[in-house]
Amino acid sequence: MWPKEFDYVRASSVDDAIQQTSDNTDAKILAGGHSLLPAMKLRLSEPGKLVDISRLADLKGISANGTLSIGAMSTHAEIAASADVQQYCASLATACGMVGDHQVRNFGTLGGNIAHADPASDPPTVLVAAGATIHIKRSRGERSVSAEDFFIDLFTTDLEDGEVITRIEVPNLSGHKAAYVKMPHPASRYAIVGVAVILEMDGDTCKSARVAVGGATVSAMRASGAESALSGSSLDDAALNAAASAVQSDISDALMGDVSYPESYRQAMSGVYLKRAVKAALG
Amino acid sequence: MENFAVGKPTPLLDGQAKVSGQTRYVGDLKMRGMLHARLVVSVYAHANVKRIDTSEALAVSGVHSVITAADLPYVTPSSRNKLMLARDRVLFVGHPIAVVLAETEAAAADAAEKVHIDYEPLAAVVTMDEAMAEDAPIIWPTGVPSGAGDEGAHGADVGGDEKGTDKKTHSNIADVAQSSRGDVEKALAEADLILEHTYTTPMVHQSSIETQGVMAQPDSITGGVTMWVSTQTPFGIRNDVAGVIGVPESDVRVHAAPVGGAFGAKFGLYEPLVALLAKAVGRTVRLILTRNEELLTTNPAPPMRVDAKIGLKTDGTLTAIDIHVTLDSGIYPSGLGSFSAYMMTSFYPVSNYRTIATNVVTNKQSDGAYRAPTAPTVIFVLDTLLDEAAEKLGINPLELKMKNCAKPGDLLANDKPWPKMGMQETIEQVKAHPLWQKRNNGKAKGHGIGMAVGGWMGGIEPGAAVCKLNRDGILQVQTGSADLTGVHTVFGQLAAEAFGIAPDKVRVVYSDTDSAPYAGGVGGSKTLYTMGSAVVRAAQEARKQVLEIAAEEFEAAVDDLEIVDGKVQVKGVPEKTIELGAIASKAMTFGGKYPPIHANGRQAITAQSPGFAAQIAEVAVDEETGEVRVVNLVIIQDVGKAINPLIVEGQIQGGAVQGIGWALYEQMHYDESGQLLSGSWMDYTVPDAVQAAPLETILIEIPSDAGPFGAKGVGEPPVIPTAAAIANAIADATGARLTDLPMTAPRVLQALTDKSS
Repeated sequence: MWPKEFDYVRASSVDDAIQQTSDNTDAKILAGGHSLLPAMKLRLSEPGKLVDISRLADLKGISANGTLSIGAMSTHAEIAASADVQQYCASLATACGMVGDHQVRNFGTLGGNIAHADPASDPPTVLVAAGATIHIKRSRGERSVSAEDFFIDLFTTDLEDGEVITRIEVPNLSGHKAAYVKMPHPASRYAIVGVAVILEMDGDTCKSARVAVGGATVSAMRASGAESALSGSSLDDAALNAAASAVQSDISDALMGDVSYPESYRQAMSGVYLKRAVKAALG
Repeated sequence: MENFAVGKPTPLLDGQAKVSGQTRYVGDLKMRGMLHARLVVSVYAHANVKRIDTSEALAVSGVHSVITAADLPYVTPSSRNKLMLARDRVLFVGHPIAVVLAETEAAAADAAEKVHIDYEPLAAVVTMDEAMAEDAPIIWPTGVPSGAGDEGAHGADVGGDEKGTDKKTHSNIADVAQSSRGDVEKALAEADLILEHTYTTPMVHQSSIETQGVMAQPDSITGGVTMWVSTQTPFGIRNDVAGVIGVPESDVRVHAAPVGGAFGAKFGLYEPLVALLAKAVGRTVRLILTRNEELLTTNPAPPMRVDAKIGLKTDGTLTAIDIHVTLDSGIYPSGLGSFSAYMMTSFYPVSNYRTIATNVVTNKQSDGAYRAPTAPTVIFVLDTLLDEAAEKLGINPLELKMKNCAKPGDLLANDKPWPKMGMQETIEQVKAHPLWQKRNNGKAKGHGIGMAVGGWMGGIEPGAAVCKLNRDGILQVQTGSADLTGVHTVFGQLAAEAFGIAPDKVRVVYSDTDSAPYAGGVGGSKTLYTMGSAVVRAAQEARKQVLEIAAEEFEAAVDDLEIVDGKVQVKGVPEKTIELGAIASKAMTFGGKYPPIHANGRQAITAQSPGFAAQIAEVAVDEETGEVRVVNLVIIQDVGKAINPLIVEGQIQGGAVQGIGWALYEQMHYDESGQLLSGSWMDYTVPDAVQAAPLETILIEIPSDAGPFGAKGVGEPPVIPTAAAIANAIADATGARLTDLPMTAPRVLQALTDKSS
């Protein structure tokens, strides 16, 4: 498989990358390349130029000072293995550890992953549930957007031409009970459905809950009905059943399926996996 | 005399090169002046091709030419490998219309996107029911082709002259075969239990890691070609290509390149087309399919539907089988339907049967052979029916199968007797196995255990081998069998044993069709059984030639000589020896008085030796999601004699994992317009390490009469009973009986829901 001929440049800085992609709508940012290059080989994407940002030091590194800050060019493997991520948002480490295979995790980056916005990828679902913030740089300066608003549709985000994701900021959720679970597609291991829950507990009562769903939907999305059903409950069977039912309604307008795992099945499984996520979170 | 090699686990000769990346597949071969071919294929399931515009493609830098049917000689499209390029009509999504030839693969890929084709879409028949509908569009207006030279095949290049064809005289039903014995109606009327279900099994792709690969170099003097092909059958390719390009087969030379998986898919497909392309442009042409093309336009296993009804007595005696098989062949009928019906009424011999086998054609890629063609479907139907019958009659399923299974001498469907075989013995081994005994005692919650048994008649084909002794004392074995599934490794073991020499003193070399004696294709569980016998005979003859020379040297009788440690000596007199290399040297020297050691071994074994495998599957069913995980899979197989237990076990394990694919995952999906929806391995699930179960392989050895050292075919049986064993295990775990493969999570969940409602 051969991509269409393209130019390649390695950006000298984030600003350089912004300039090179602002000037040329035929140019695309190259991060880890593990989504973009296969798409190019299949000729689903035919950019004339790739601007490689994968080696920019400004975009690397993970730090934890009140909030967790993950450089956009951090690889999935780095995130999965990071003690800071484990402490602040362990389910993000879990999700990054589920992406692709070893090679993908060693090259693929979180910034590239969310910019690509594959609806069945794992990290976006956790980022939405976690209330993460995406920091973006552009020629006019910087801006930020919540993960929830960032993912718009199939392979569609809030990101515009000439913008570069610099880092992903995640609140400190170390005091929360959280989990990400998924049913992997047997061929691709992408999520048939993936559910992330983040529970703020007060003894045996769930004070508040954040729930996000991916895989079954056109993009990672919050499930507010399920959150309401869990919040204030003791997470007993009745509450879990109510939440499982609610999550199926929450996603009913955004369902996505394929011939082997149709929408109706994925919808039903969102309920099953919501329960499993809560149980996993409670350990 | 098993002193040297037979029965010893021996690593694959080609293993190290393959694992370390040293093997040079067709895709690694480069020739000076070689052009890369890229197919341009139909995006419609059925359409008239109005115009092909190649101008933009020809303008791409590096493009040599764009070939269409107009550039090639006419070939009657009577079978899949004679389809060539579409003339005026395309018959399936993936039907090649043009080929770009370019100096680089990238240029070929760029240009292929720039060949513009104007289509006039036609109504297509995608499913077997659409094909058989009263007013169905007819795929082959002048008759469904049934083989070489068939007049009806001209339909593939229909122009305007066929428009008036009376559709009533033709249909999409290629053939209907019927067979019967006894009185099925009466037997069913008198049965104590009747079970009736409709089963479906899908199109499944062989999915080897290496895709189809062909390279052809034209010979401008003879008009022939030399080819390097990833193939199971170099001699078959020689014949196919010679026929299509119109030269004697002696002017076609075929090299079987190393093969990265075949499983029945590599019995000839694009070789004649690539040969024609090479001749058309006078340069070497290489075609390597992409994965997408491999899934879109090759020859996978056909979708089947089986309407099955069986009758039994309360004591478990099977009294009637009434079967209607419908097989969807894609555009060319394979004729596998009647073969499947034959198997369905042979494994459990019955006094009353009736079978109807209907082969239909549809606007999809043509079907082909996939490991034990149609047998996984046959056993899925038979063995799950018998399992259910046992449950309903309150009989242990194993006992019911034991009672009804074929034994040597019982009648096959064609009223001939079953030869020596071990169906019953494999079932007996199941009975003794701890996993089976756990079925009624000690299973984990949500787990189920099931068993099934299936077999393969075993193929035959004449073939010959050559043995030569070199001056270094190495015995060289030469055959025309492509090296799949370790056949060369095993040939070396057989030759060592028969000659009486250590296996490291044997070299097995593949020879192309010009230099090797004839060998049949490697497939059908026949290579070791038949070609192995030829190798043994050649090695025995070489031994005889060696001893005759030594006898003269020693002035002793041949019968008094022996070969020990690579030396010939008079029996019991180790003081006086001649090295094998020295004997070879005496026969390969100026002024020598002995002829060189050059031995032929030939065979035309006509007796088949069926091989059977029984399997026990333990599954865990997730009743919330419908997911099925195979927890344990035990394969008990009669292999006659395991010449190389390591390879035999590996081959059995590979087959069983493919069986897991049949059972739970694999299906080629087409939408209503005939578009392939599972055109990549992101969508089409080939089971891998995650889905494979812990496998236990148990070999039993009921020697065949004709195979070398009692060996019989091993390749087909292990894939056959897996889906049935897993289905029976699911039923044991949940009570749900599934009748459609694959048993995906949504289907299992649906079955559980249906059962509880």
